[in-house]
Amino acid sequence: MDERFVLVGARTPQPPPPKELPWHRGKPVLAMAGLLVIVTGCLCCELFIPRDPAYMDLVHAMEAPGPDFWFGADTMGRDIFSMIWHGGRASLLIGFFATAISTALAVLFGTVSGLSPRWLDELLMRLTEIFLSIPSLLLIVLLQAILGKPDVLSLSVVIGVTGWTSVARVVRSEVRRLRSSEYVLAAQCMGAGFFHVLRRHLAPNFFSSIMFMVVMNVRSAIASESTLSFMGLGLPLEVISWGSMLSLAEKALLSGAWWIILIPGAFLVVTLLCLTSVGNWLRGGGDQRGSNL
Amino acid sequence: MRQKNPFLYYGGKVLSFAVSLFLLSLAAFYVARLAPGDPLVSYYGDRAEKMTVQEREQAEARLGLDRPVHVQYIRWLEGAVRGDFGISYKYRTEALSVIAARLPNTLILGGIGFLLIFTGALALGAICAWNEGNLLDRFICKAGTVVSCIPEFWMSLVLILIFSVHLRWLPSSGAYTIGGGGIANRAVHLVLPLTVTVAGHLWYYAYMIRNRLLEEIRADYVLLARAKGLGRRKVLFRHCLRSVLPTYLSLMAISVPHILGGTYIVETVFSYPGIGTLSYESARYQDYNLLMLLCILSGGLVILCNILAQIVSERIDPRMRSGETPEVTDHG
Amino acid sequence: MPEILLDIQHLTHDFRLGRKRTVRAVDDVSFQMQKGEIFGLVGESGSGKSTVAKCVMSILSPSAGKIRYLGVNICDPGQFRSHRKLLQTSRQMIFQDSTSSLNPRMTVAAIISEPLEIHHIRPPRGSLREEAAFQLKCVGLDPGCLDRRPPELSGGQRQRVAIARALSMSPELLVADEPIASLDVSIQAQIINLFRHLQREHGFTFLFIAHDLAVVRYLCDRVGVMLGGKLVEEAPSGELFANPLHPYTQALLSAIPVPDPCRERARTPVIFDSAQFDREGVLTEVLPGHRVLRKGAAS
Repeated sequence: MDERFVLVGARTPQPPPPKELPWHRGKPVLAMAGLLVIVTGCLCCELFIPRDPAYMDLVHAMEAPGPDFWFGADTMGRDIFSMIWHGGRASLLIGFFATAISTALAVLFGTVSGLSPRWLDELLMRLTEIFLSIPSLLLIVLLQAILGKPDVLSLSVVIGVTGWTSVARVVRSEVRRLRSSEYVLAAQCMGAGFFHVLRRHLAPNFFSSIMFMVVMNVRSAIASESTLSFMGLGLPLEVISWGSMLSLAEKALLSGAWWIILIPGAFLVVTLLCLTSVGNWLRGGGDQRGSNL
Repeated sequence: MRQKNPFLYYGGKVLSFAVSLFLLSLAAFYVARLAPGDPLVSYYGDRAEKMTVQEREQAEARLGLDRPVHVQYIRWLEGAVRGDFGISYKYRTEALSVIAARLPNTLILGGIGFLLIFTGALALGAICAWNEGNLLDRFICKAGTVVSCIPEFWMSLVLILIFSVHLRWLPSSGAYTIGGGGIANRAVHLVLPLTVTVAGHLWYYAYMIRNRLLEEIRADYVLLARAKGLGRRKVLFRHCLRSVLPTYLSLMAISVPHILGGTYIVETVFSYPGIGTLSYESARYQDYNLLMLLCILSGGLVILCNILAQIVSERIDPRMRSGETPEVTDHG
Repeated sequence: MPEILLDIQHLTHDFRLGRKRTVRAVDDVSFQMQKGEIFGLVGESGSGKSTVAKCVMSILSPSAGKIRYLGVNICDPGQFRSHRKLLQTSRQMIFQDSTSSLNPRMTVAAIISEPLEIHHIRPPRGSLREEAAFQLKCVGLDPGCLDRRPPELSGGQRQRVAIARALSMSPELLVADEPIASLDVSIQAQIINLFRHLQREHGFTFLFIAHDLAVVRYLCDRVGVMLGGKLVEEAPSGELFANPLHPYTQALLSAIPVPDPCRERARTPVIFDSAQFDREGVLTEVLPGHRVLRKGAAS
């Protein structure tokens, strides 16, 4: 090899491997464990729940938590402990489905808008704005009316269809930014097709920035389900979910049956909290540079 | 860059507002009519179900519901331009007056809530950035995350349970006690809804302020200002906060409808007689005219705030101005 | 007569700015490149050098004119399509800014083997990774860099990775758009030497774009000088530096600093204002292989 072009300092020894940190450092272990317990508990609830969650034992209606009914019974005498695990399925399922729908819509809309010429992009964004300006409550009520009697699937569709715009915006701006980057140009020069660029260059880049939003969408879909069911717009009382359990709250308030409100709600909040911390972790740590202040 | 004529500039904005509003009304009108349901039920109540076919036809003709949808829309539009938005089927008075009676309640709740969120987020964000990484900051961040995870309706329920049912300190519903209605009485009724509204949104904005400030204090000009001998407090408040403020202002402009939308749920839980409860009812009972007016009102607010935010950010940052981008000519 | 690899005739490219205005970035440029030579294109910023390079690489499609590569007119979509594989594998480009032309999320190994992967070429040295390691060694980098990502490398190392990526296809034509402009002076020298060495070894044809005349003089066999979208002078490297004919070239050459303070101070620089130079005329061959833009002197 020619002496003249040997890079000065090119053979610097490899930097010493970074000190082994404890494996759980910087990871939301508690939140992940909590999420795992809740998800597996809900999926395998048949194995350990003591009663049929749908069975109405009117003799024990409004019974306070005790050895017999661990978390008490609701106004219709159903066992709240069994209902929570069983109802979690519907809530988690809606969170999952709705997010899948909204993410698919968002990625589709965002890439199309990001890759299209300026005028079309502007038009699409204007349409999104108008879509956003229709009050979501109205949209949900009307969609629900069109889709008929609410069940898990139709509610997922409703929540998914109304909740895709923010992710779509992120995808669009990422695609627009990446589209003009030189490494995409370089790949096209080498003869890379659209799908190669999408798979190797675009997707990995916007994947990390929407991962956080996707997890947050799961969170807000679960919250929406419970809010809608609580307001009587979501799942009916017979379909057990965390939201429909809480729709009994008004009766519970009058009689001071706190367990009907607090216990399912606490489960809901813990789930949302776990999702949030996992989401925050996915978003990545903040700036590593020191403060100048 | 060519400076645009301000008349044309604002004219364009007004025009785009009008076009968006028109499209919105069209979309809302069709969506509402497409939804299955019987508007006669909200006008005649249970009587609608017992009507004969002939009676129904007469009733529909009287309300103009027998025409094709586009004819109905044109008639509605004609009226709307003259300021006549039709009557509410449920309340049997003019839709405008139904809303006018409820609007102040929502404005009080939303307006005070907005002010509190606006100032609170700024203060909280600044406190966190000031104490970055220490105990106070970490505590506020954790608490904020927890509070922001609680769905608003459940927070309302818990507060009612504690303060109304158990302690009996505060009323659980309404905007004032029927009969009496002094300022103190209204204020007492506002405490819980306001708490929930503020708590539901505060952390989102405060966290944003905090992160923007943390980015800002890593900039080189902060180092310069500190090296020059300026105190930490002055740097944070005079320099950093000032450069964060413009984006915050335009964000807050966009968030106005968001916060007002959040009061819908709160209003429903606390049976607070405002726009939120009204739009919920009107959507459920196909009260078309009222629904349209509410849609126009809240959708128009969204569009207006978006345009305002756009103007704010364009005023502050000329790069945001759409138009020519002479990237190629500025070499050499 | 050596074989002609690239033949550019009356190349013109307009950029559209808004609805009415256009900017003519390249205006009636013609030159030829022989197989195995290093052709340098110099000129100030905005003179259209990069646009020529992008047209040659088919990133931009010219508004008028022809580009023939190995006899294929690459401006014609039909011919381009039927020779796509050849064109995409045998022409490679190196960009100015290695920070943005390498995907920061990919490892060096993945970056270097990307073109092979795109064209499903079986690596000549077993696995893709070994191929990448070989190319890395060719450009003077340690194979230990294979698993690093571009942000962990220095500017010079990154540019070497970009060169390795281009060479992994063993191209006929290498186009480098100011590959050394964003590097330190000492690193620039290394990269230039590397280019010389690699060109001798692989024998590719090299279109080298720069604004540093000293570098061009050292590296290139022939040089073209561009001004405001026009090619004003084209000559073999030694000839051009010894006997510049166009006033703009003379001005450019006079601006090369001399590494001796006394002589540098004593020199009287030729007035340098690009607006005053004549850009009218036709490229005329005044000496064998030496062409200059001259008015009314049609051959």
